[in-house]
Amino acid sequence: MGVLADDEHHPGTLPVQRMGPGHHAFLCYDDDAPGWDVLAAFVWSGLARGEKVIVFGPPRLTETQVRSRLQGAHALLAASGYERAQLELSSMRELILPDRRFTADRQWQRIVEESGAARAEGYTGLRTYIDMGWVADLGADLDMMMDRERRAGHLFADGFYSEVCAYDRRSFPEPVLRAMGRAHPENLLPRLGHLRCRHGAGTLHVIGEADLATHGQFTRALAALLRGPEPPAGPRTVDLLRTGFLGAESATELVLLLGRAPAHRPVRIRCSERHAHLLCRLGADPAALDVTVAG
Amino acid sequence: MTVESAGGPPGIGEELLLRRRFGGADIPRLRVLVESCAALSGLPEPRRGEFVVAMDAVAGNVVQHAGGHGLLELTRTGKELECRITDRGPGFSEDVIPDLAPGLDGASRGRGLWLTRLITDRFAVVSGPAGSTVTFAMSLR
Repeated sequence: MGVLADDEHHPGTLPVQRMGPGHHAFLCYDDDAPGWDVLAAFVWSGLARGEKVIVFGPPRLTETQVRSRLQGAHALLAASGYERAQLELSSMRELILPDRRFTADRQWQRIVEESGAARAEGYTGLRTYIDMGWVADLGADLDMMMDRERRAGHLFADGFYSEVCAYDRRSFPEPVLRAMGRAHPENLLPRLGHLRCRHGAGTLHVIGEADLATHGQFTRALAALLRGPEPPAGPRTVDLLRTGFLGAESATELVLLLGRAPAHRPVRIRCSERHAHLLCRLGADPAALDVTVAG
Repeated sequence: MTVESAGGPPGIGEELLLRRRFGGADIPRLRVLVESCAALSGLPEPRRGEFVVAMDAVAGNVVQHAGGHGLLELTRTGKELECRITDRGPGFSEDVIPDLAPGLDGASRGRGLWLTRLITDRFAVVSGPAGSTVTFAMSLR
């Protein structure tokens, strides 16, 4: 995926594995990163969490073509007990029926209805993947679409509903994509297996997946943290709260880093319980970990 | 990542959840799929996270040292979630896995397999002329 000019520093950048109830995320795709692995992971994770999942795929594709991109969903559906009703493929055209003209109010009304139905059926949440190709398909006005995106916060307020808005980079002007990236509280990394290391004020934010394929990038970022200037206050920190996967090799590097840091310049790790458990297995001192339950 | 089959009982009391051929580029997707299956099988945290770390380590070993491609099979029994990863590499025995934490005492080879053996309830390596099979499992109870 081509990188948008200003999305590198969006404060809500996260991997799709970190998507949770209440999130409203922006995803931009193109030929380089068509986004199918992100969509599949979004669907698989939702099914595993017991959420109702509705995919509004690109209008140019048939339902069969979209379903073929979700390899693996059938195995999860079989295991979930809800079977096929848990995953629906639909379109914006179908969602707003009997209306034919898109309005934000009509779409919101239908999403609220779908949320209510999902709740009544015992699902733990409702998540939707919306390919924004519906804008051209329905002949909708871009300004109206952008207004909808900016004012949709109420849908997510109770933490039951989550939504990915997927923009085909080739179909929207760059200023619209930038504005929409900023309008969403969350921005998804463009593909699985991607790692973005961001430095700031003595903290290294590890966003994405620290696995064998990204191990070199990860170790260079750790070295840069140690070499970098002293933070204005407090110790140097490695923040794993937006890390989608921490592999054995990278976890070991973190444990080594804790031991390597000089006593007068300690390093702390901010992480979830899952990552803390793994790091302690590898010998990390629990006192060096700041564990966030919700992380 | 090639779909082989999914669902259906391969043996009495067993359910084959996944069967996937993979190369290095498939591993991120495989992690999400295995984690989702583990969640639906009732494997709780933090063991679910460890199961995915183990799967990633064994699959990564195949990609790095055993020809680049492998076959993953995930099976649920009444008691366990089992992962079996087969490759066509030169083969290895469990003896090559260090007893101490590798990397923490200077060596770096074998960290993933060492950790997998540490965190799983059952771990075995079987090697032959056609390659190796690493099997590990975690209790669901």
